[in-house]
Amino acid sequence: MNSKQFVISVMSKDRPGIIADIATVIYHNNGDLADLNQSVLGGYFTMMLIAEFEQTVTEEILKEAFAKIESDTVLEAIIKEAVVDFEDADKALPGETYVVTAQGKNRKGLVKVLGDFFYGNRINVLDLVTVKRDEIYTMIFQVDLTPIVSMRELRDELADLAKNENLEVVLQHNDIYMATNEVGTAYGFNQKK
Amino acid sequence: MLRSDQIMATVEMVQKENLDVRTVTMGINLLDCRQNTVEDTCKRVEEKIARYAGTFVETCEEVAVKYGIPVINKRISVTPAALVGAGFTKDEFILLAKSLDNAAENVGVDILGGFTAHVEKGMTASDREFMASVPEALAVTKRLCASINVGSSHKGINMDAVAMVGHTVKELAEQTAESGGFGAAKFVVFCNQPGDNPFMAGAIHGVEEADVVLNVGVSGPGVIARSLEKMINNVGRENLKLDDIAEEIKQITFRVTRCGELIGRQVSKELGIEFGVVDLSLAPTPKIGDSVGEILQILGVDDVGAPGSTAIVAMLNDAVKKGGIFASKAVGGLSGAFIPVMEDSVLADAVEKGALTIEKLEAMTCVCSVGLDMVPIPGDVDAATISAIIADEMAIGMVNNKTTAARLIPVPGKMAGEIVSFGGLFGKSPIMEVRNVNKSGRFIAWGGRIPAPIHSFKN
Repeated sequence: MNSKQFVISVMSKDRPGIIADIATVIYHNNGDLADLNQSVLGGYFTMMLIAEFEQTVTEEILKEAFAKIESDTVLEAIIKEAVVDFEDADKALPGETYVVTAQGKNRKGLVKVLGDFFYGNRINVLDLVTVKRDEIYTMIFQVDLTPIVSMRELRDELADLAKNENLEVVLQHNDIYMATNEVGTAYGFNQKK
Repeated sequence: MLRSDQIMATVEMVQKENLDVRTVTMGINLLDCRQNTVEDTCKRVEEKIARYAGTFVETCEEVAVKYGIPVINKRISVTPAALVGAGFTKDEFILLAKSLDNAAENVGVDILGGFTAHVEKGMTASDREFMASVPEALAVTKRLCASINVGSSHKGINMDAVAMVGHTVKELAEQTAESGGFGAAKFVVFCNQPGDNPFMAGAIHGVEEADVVLNVGVSGPGVIARSLEKMINNVGRENLKLDDIAEEIKQITFRVTRCGELIGRQVSKELGIEFGVVDLSLAPTPKIGDSVGEILQILGVDDVGAPGSTAIVAMLNDAVKKGGIFASKAVGGLSGAFIPVMEDSVLADAVEKGALTIEKLEAMTCVCSVGLDMVPIPGDVDAATISAIIADEMAIGMVNNKTTAARLIPVPGKMAGEIVSFGGLFGKSPIMEVRNVNKSGRFIAWGGRIPAPIHSFKN
């Protein structure tokens, strides 16, 4: 094998030109960009990408190249050599993918409350988004409920949790969100997003 | 990637705006149940219904729990009974009715539709026996609904049948006088009755259908009303025009329909039964916030029945169809807005205020999907007048190539303005005034047929 893969994570205060800077580093090191995800949260830019380089390229070489980017803002990069299974990344969501939304007055420990609940029930969290607006905290967990035997019991337990923690908790199948928000998804709505 | 705005909008629609699947209806063909004797036929009917619908209710409930969307009604429709029992006498049709009722009870279904005859062009001797059996058949059963198709755009209107059903309606009400004439609420007269409508009381399993299919009726007047209120609050009334509102209705209907189809197809898959259609109707219930009338008020008429009501219903009906058709692989049934007076508290209020009259309702039915539905009238209105009201409604359907229906309830012993209540989903309303009573007898006495309109000759 004459190439290797790196997982690179980059964070910076958002500004025009970050993508150009990152892509330039990869290009100048003769890298081949594969999958990439980026988002901006609270004015901070974050990106995760996978790229393939020749055997001679090392983590240090790439770190140095990122450090040389000239900018008013600091760009931090974490670089790890890894073997990436792209087939695994393309797998469809499990059939029992659900979305749990929980909303309540903001306080410390809310994500932990739900996180502990899922962990305690052997539920894997596939994705998580949280939003704080006007002292209302909203958490959206995409979870795999494959290990759950009784949906009725889980709904009851979530209802108890909601009552005890003063949260509005809703458990809905992921297909409902796909069906109501996406055009072109056939039945069932389980394609990988 | 999770989109929090979309997810929270859907959560709101499901949890706070009463999104549900109004009905999942299993259509079962019973023509292959016909045997040499009535008893054997009835036995085969019960066996077939039990075979296909034995786990129907349970499966609907499991799917509803899985997806977190309630399925309100689980029902069965069957091949028009006049065909299943062709050649039966009146008494034999009543035995068939009891058998259908038993079958529904055995599988835990609260309503079964299809005690039906299609007589739009002519009646056989057997059809007449069947029609004569309807009042007693509904009186001795609990779950059965009956319907008669007396007209079609292609064949015209069978006025002999129209004359007969006026008496049927009276008899049904009088036999159930102690419950306010409730028997008449289980009987609908149709023009252009669809064979895949999942909504009662007019659901049947048409002979053109596969052996067993599952049709779904979505609803959602509450979802549409709440969304429109939110839109008007957020954007400001002064910044909106009617086409913006029509667009919003389309988008909401799209979402509602997708949910309905998802649930229906899942139930279908679990039961191993072919999926039929999604019926895109807005079906109100007496529950506060689940009203089609409320949508009309939000769109700008202070009372339903005020000038403008017909135009709003036309726009609403069209937007619902457009949003739903794109959302579903197969659309059918009635698909539009229902305006059943007793089942919609805002319509009932409008009757009480004198804002909504039968004449205005009739006008609104020209542009909506059904007709004069759940309309209580004084018990002393004569059969010929009832037939004439039905004839008017059938003419609207015939000429406009659409389904129209009449479900009139002459409430025994009560006059216009008095209240009749059937409870639950059947609701309550003041009795509507019928003007010009006893003036249509000569018209109904003609009999014969109103020929099909010229635009039906397209062959």
